[in-house]
Amino acid sequence: VAKLCVCDLLVAQCDVNCCCDPDCSAADFSLFTTCSVPIVTGDNRLCSQKAAIYSLDVEANPPERIFKLIDQVNPSVFCIHATNYKEALSFSSPQMPTSENFDQLLKEFESATFSAEPDSWNMNTDAQSPSDANETYRYEYGVPIQTVDAFLRLPSPVLSSWCSDANPAGFLVNQATKCIRSVSVEKCGNIQAVSMLFYINSSILAVNITVQSVIVQSLNGMWTLLNSSDVLRLPMILDEVCINIVLGVSYHITYTDAGEIIEAAASFVLGAINKEALSIQQSFEISFTQVNTKPVPLSGNPGYVVGLPVRAGFRPQGYPFPVEILFNTNKYGQLTILQSTSNQDCLAAQGARTPVLFGYNMVSGCKLRITAAMKCQPLTQTLLDLLKGQTFPEYVASFGNSRAQDVLDWVPITHFQTSEQRIYNTFQSSCQIPISLEIEVKWTKYGSLVNPQARIVNVTATITSTTLKQLPSGRERTIPITSSVVFTDISSPAEPGYKAWPTINVKLPFDFFFPFV
Amino acid sequence: NSSYQLSSVPLQILFYINGIYYIFYFLATLAMIVYKSEVFSYPDDFLAPDLALLFVMAILEVLRLYLGSKGNLTEEEAPLGLSLVMTVGSVILSVYFLVWQTYVLKADVILNALLLFTYGLESLLKVVAIAAFVS
Repeated sequence: VAKLCVCDLLVAQCDVNCCCDPDCSAADFSLFTTCSVPIVTGDNRLCSQKAAIYSLDVEANPPERIFKLIDQVNPSVFCIHATNYKEALSFSSPQMPTSENFDQLLKEFESATFSAEPDSWNMNTDAQSPSDANETYRYEYGVPIQTVDAFLRLPSPVLSSWCSDANPAGFLVNQATKCIRSVSVEKCGNIQAVSMLFYINSSILAVNITVQSVIVQSLNGMWTLLNSSDVLRLPMILDEVCINIVLGVSYHITYTDAGEIIEAAASFVLGAINKEALSIQQSFEISFTQVNTKPVPLSGNPGYVVGLPVRAGFRPQGYPFPVEILFNTNKYGQLTILQSTSNQDCLAAQGARTPVLFGYNMVSGCKLRITAAMKCQPLTQTLLDLLKGQTFPEYVASFGNSRAQDVLDWVPITHFQTSEQRIYNTFQSSCQIPISLEIEVKWTKYGSLVNPQARIVNVTATITSTTLKQLPSGRERTIPITSSVVFTDISSPAEPGYKAWPTINVKLPFDFFFPFV
Repeated sequence: NSSYQLSSVPLQILFYINGIYYIFYFLATLAMIVYKSEVFSYPDDFLAPDLALLFVMAILEVLRLYLGSKGNLTEEEAPLGLSLVMTVGSVILSVYFLVWQTYVLKADVILNALLLFTYGLESLLKVVAIAAFVS
């Protein structure tokens, strides 16, 4: 108790009025007025214990501190004479782990709760693991993918651009990351993270990672696809150049709809570095495909996500289901509208189109110069092509993940034609040219109140035409052509659903009217 | 004429006092164990042995006093000898409550010290009585 001091808060400095502070000198003590801590004892329920008493002798000049170490006696007959229980009066300090008691400490403290019988916890896990050993694991969205020793790692930049190898890949989370790793030609074979073996070494719990393709990048940046992808290429030094360094890995994981991973493949880009290179940029990607389906980029699951393209498709003649256009010149092949260019001439627009993204209202347009020489019919056709594009789809998917086989999940696009001016004389053969296309997408919130999903209900495409008055030769006119997409929310207010009132089901016993029935 | 009576009167008096004292000892120790379990941290692993040993000691004490008293009054050395042997067990239990209990309070020390003193005196008188009966 002589060494304990509750009021010693400042390290290596004297605390005011703290008589037990070892950092105070006699000169400091002479400035104190009282002792904030007069006595330091242990548990006072003990029969006899040591006590340190601090007091200030104010009569002396200068005042000095008096320190006494005495035995304090508890007079009660119920004072504790002795204890045979270690944690009786104070918290016991935890054992310091050493190499001898580490295993025992690990067994005792490794579970979520510390019970006096750790065996009871172990029995539960032992009972479960034999039955699970032959099954593959079922995953949920976002759960890290387990490998034999740890998790499947996707190196990614953390806080800075340098690669951190501790980022696990989550199930069904498509990621693409780029990060920088420091390398040098001397340590070519020693850095694990630039060798192919590091990325295919671990197996994803009963599924081996196969090498799908290997692309070799030469020093000047030229890519060559290797014919045989079975050979494992490890980094090695060749003429002061380190070759077979992993510059990019792309994982493709195939899963079933039960949440099991059945296949894993990795594609590599291997490169070479020379002596001057201090760091390389590595890119990593992981994508998930459901077995027996073609990978289609979803625009939401199931409701549309704002910002993702609206999915659209055709119903080919004779085919019962709408078939999607996947490969178009525009790469998206979805519903597209005219894209405004800096050169506002419609005829020079070169057919630039932009995909319609869900939730984003868009307006675009161009200016059309009409000369006297232009004929009506070809002009009408050109403008229709301009507004609608080469292939205007017939159906729009109502959910972001609608499959092509489900006909009812696809909404047909209804077309309307309006005219700007009222035609007084329908028999007058005037030229109607389309000048604006307005696509209105009506969508609603579908599903539960806490997690509403966007669902497209109705799509209308309205073409507005105007009469083209014949121009005197030599004159020309400029008319604006516009196309727009508007998204309207037509969701009805949510209705609360209540459970039915419980009914009292009371029936008389069947022999209630015994004598008479 | 005391020469025909071999039974030891002091021993019998001691048995009587022992009996009364032991009742007091048993109730006091039980009450103190209850007090300790309320005031201090007394986990079940430590409480169960203490209580069990106290009840064992009570049973042992009853048997011991009965045998000793009967042996002394009927002037037979067999029950008295058996009682002497059982005294050893009682001494051990008393030492447990004096030294190896979970919490030893000052009152525990006093009670057990008195009990041990009584046992010691009893044992001495029993040996003398057995010697008198045998010869």
